[in-house]
Amino acid sequence: MNDFWIILIGVLVAATCGLLGSYLILRRMAMVGDAIAHAVLPGIVIAFMISESRDSIPMLLGAAAVGLLTTFLIETLHRRGMLQIDASIGLTYTSLFALGVILASAFAGDVDLDLDCILYGEIALAPLYTLDIGGVDMGPRAVWIVGGALILVLSFIFLGYKELYITTFDPAYAAIIGVSVSLWHYLLMGAVSLTTVAAFESVGAILVVAFLIAPPAAAYLLTDNFKHMLLLTVLLGSLAVVGGYYLAAWLDASIAGAMALCMGLVFCAAFGLYRRRLHIASKSLTDQQLAARG
Amino acid sequence: MHIKPHSITALAAVIFTLLLASCGSENDRSAAQADGPPRIVATTGMLGDAVANLVGSQAQVETLMGPGVDPHLYKATHGDLERLESADIIVYNGLHLEGKMVEVLERLAKEKPVIAMAEMLRTRTLISADNFESAYDPHIWFDVSLWTRAIKHLRDTLSGFDFLDSDSLMNNTRTYVGKLEALDKEVKETLAPIPLESRVLITAHDAFGYFGQAYDFEVRGLQGLSTLSEFGLRDRVDLVDMIVRRNIKAIFVETSVSRQAIDAVIESSRERGHELMVGGRLFSDAMGEPGTEEGTYIGMIRANVRTIAAGLQ
Repeated sequence: MNDFWIILIGVLVAATCGLLGSYLILRRMAMVGDAIAHAVLPGIVIAFMISESRDSIPMLLGAAAVGLLTTFLIETLHRRGMLQIDASIGLTYTSLFALGVILASAFAGDVDLDLDCILYGEIALAPLYTLDIGGVDMGPRAVWIVGGALILVLSFIFLGYKELYITTFDPAYAAIIGVSVSLWHYLLMGAVSLTTVAAFESVGAILVVAFLIAPPAAAYLLTDNFKHMLLLTVLLGSLAVVGGYYLAAWLDASIAGAMALCMGLVFCAAFGLYRRRLHIASKSLTDQQLAARG
Repeated sequence: MHIKPHSITALAAVIFTLLLASCGSENDRSAAQADGPPRIVATTGMLGDAVANLVGSQAQVETLMGPGVDPHLYKATHGDLERLESADIIVYNGLHLEGKMVEVLERLAKEKPVIAMAEMLRTRTLISADNFESAYDPHIWFDVSLWTRAIKHLRDTLSGFDFLDSDSLMNNTRTYVGKLEALDKEVKETLAPIPLESRVLITAHDAFGYFGQAYDFEVRGLQGLSTLSEFGLRDRVDLVDMIVRRNIKAIFVETSVSRQAIDAVIESSRERGHELMVGGRLFSDAMGEPGTEEGTYIGMIRANVRTIAAGLQ
């Protein structure tokens, strides 16, 4: 069953992150996942100082709160401070991460508080970490957490498809027809921060950051239709999950690492396909031009 | 640039087939496992070595974190999942050495025996963090007598299992504890020539708290308990002050920690006219390569103590 659970968790992560990532890369905010991965440090330090424990619930709450703060700051600095979005992301997460480092060394210098051991989960061990309700084994906890996040993301996209689409592609037009651009930005960023924090906690940071960016980037090269892009993102991500799982099993290597590597390979294949089509398209264009002249 | 809808459907079909195939590939591991000797999985090398010395040939002992692997940075592989799942007994250090993996181990404890070695010790023998009573230093193995005490607890727990012969467990433990007691004496003798004033152990990682407590060393780290936490600027100035004032001749590198922090301190001391040596590499969270002397707990402690004695005299 373990093979099945790991692949299922991987596919759920790929779908959840890929769907949100599609909006992020179109808004030039792809690095927001990486930013959240670092910025949550002060959250877990403060949660530890209050609860004096390193259990996952207080850590998750602290991380989620600071995750929301991160995306809020990124948006606010960008909108109100007229800062470029990439500069805003960079400024926010480095400051928050630094705050976490300072807090940790000033108040908990001799306690082991780093994100890798406290917050980030490990997909390889996720099948063993089962959820148990009233003595009934409900399967891996990560399936419920990431599956829940996927349902939230799907309903968010389903209910707000038009608004998200319009504010992503043509914010000026959205403002004219009375769709609040900033409201939908904040909603999207809120969804991103909660989803990524939940996914970090279940499967670790590498997988989440990789699947937020690479599958939508690959899908973007293969289609001009946004709905197809969302669908392709999920499928390409899932393909990398399956391939990565078998690669890791074969090499006895890190599963998250192998899945992220496979996603890189899937992107390369998409890039190759894109260049080839571009080449054929330009060649047939030249042929037409030549024919027209001749 | 349009991908055709039917190629998307085809891609979906391929992935779905692969997903289904993964459900069917469950092999009959449990059947093969029933015949062989019981399997005990330990997280760190030190634990694996302790368990192997106690059970002898009665069980197959496997270690998850190999030589040079820092438990704080350990990443589980595909095989580790199978090792944990097929184990009959799991032994881990506890006190948060294994980080988030502990949650998984605690879940597994509902299905099979899972032993937290350091958590069997009385809390008053443990060193707790300055501001947080409930956070203990997990690096118990560098105090040989404390480790010996933990090993006796381990023996008591292991002798409760039917599939392990408790007589030979008792015998093996007696022999091994004898070796450890001799080791403890040897450590004290080797360190005896170091004058009290120079008994300061400076390393890049605070793994030596118990060592300092047991053998009268002041231990100064270049960073906090965690491998990743940063070293404050004033900490470094204070440290260099002390090195110059007390004329400390050597500081130490650890096998699982980078040398960068250490080099910075050597440079600052040199600027103040104090020649500071790198006393050599100490083993901290991981043992040496298997097959070498340092690949065992006893060899690792000996190597550390030799390095410290040579550097500080």
